[in-house]
Amino acid sequence: MPSGDKKKRKKPSPKKSELDSALDQVGDESAAAAMKEFQDLLREAEGDASELVRQNADELERRLVLLKNQEIDKEDFDYFVENQKRDLRVFVDSQPAQAQERAEKLTLHVLEIAATKVVPVLIAMI
Amino acid sequence: MNSTPVARNVFLCVAAISIASCGTETFTKTGSDATIESLRNFELAFIDEFAVPGKKFNAAAFNAKVNEGNAKFQQAIADEKFTARRPVLVDLKAQFDADAAHLKSKASRGKITPALASEMKKDVNKIYDHALGR
Repeated sequence: MPSGDKKKRKKPSPKKSELDSALDQVGDESAAAAMKEFQDLLREAEGDASELVRQNADELERRLVLLKNQEIDKEDFDYFVENQKRDLRVFVDSQPAQAQERAEKLTLHVLEIAATKVVPVLIAMI
Repeated sequence: MNSTPVARNVFLCVAAISIASCGTETFTKTGSDATIESLRNFELAFIDEFAVPGKKFNAAAFNAKVNEGNAKFQQAIADEKFTARRPVLVDLKAQFDADAAHLKSKASRGKITPALASEMKKDVNKIYDHALGR
């Protein structure tokens, strides 16, 4: 469940990540708003009580940095996102009804924003 | 109140069957876990063999290994006695298919990177851990 077990909850790091530094450079107003929405959701996911939600957020951030650094390409990134989605659908469906919306927002929705809004911005920066 | 011998025998019989079926289920699940671990090792070795940056793509060797993998997964699904595990094995087979397709597409164009190989193996380990309920 995305909220409950507070023991393993990770505090969001106050230090700017490599990804944050890149996304903060976005000048266009509407793109910057989308990046801010993504960064806020990613921080929320990284501090969630569920290990699977945190693990997904960490994987996503790591792969966005790999993409930005050209260590993987967009095909690889899209393939990994599909893997993550496949793995997460079972998790989201297994959540109690009242927790499903939040679980979906912090997992599948974050992946969707990354693939459709963040990746084009990062590729344009390369 | 004392139970009658018949009632006591029925109770003992039910208890014995329950214990025996529990043992069988545990045994079956242990065997099933070993099968999943064997499939994990096969898939990790597959990635190690073909996700090598700069290595010339050998289509015949690749297809032979994919065929070997398909046979292993199909055999595992057919042999699975623990019925709740069958959909899990089907999901793992779907992951193997997706990995093989991506690897073929990238390796045949010489576009394998160390990060791709490393991330693929992380995904395989994560998915198999989830399949084993870890």
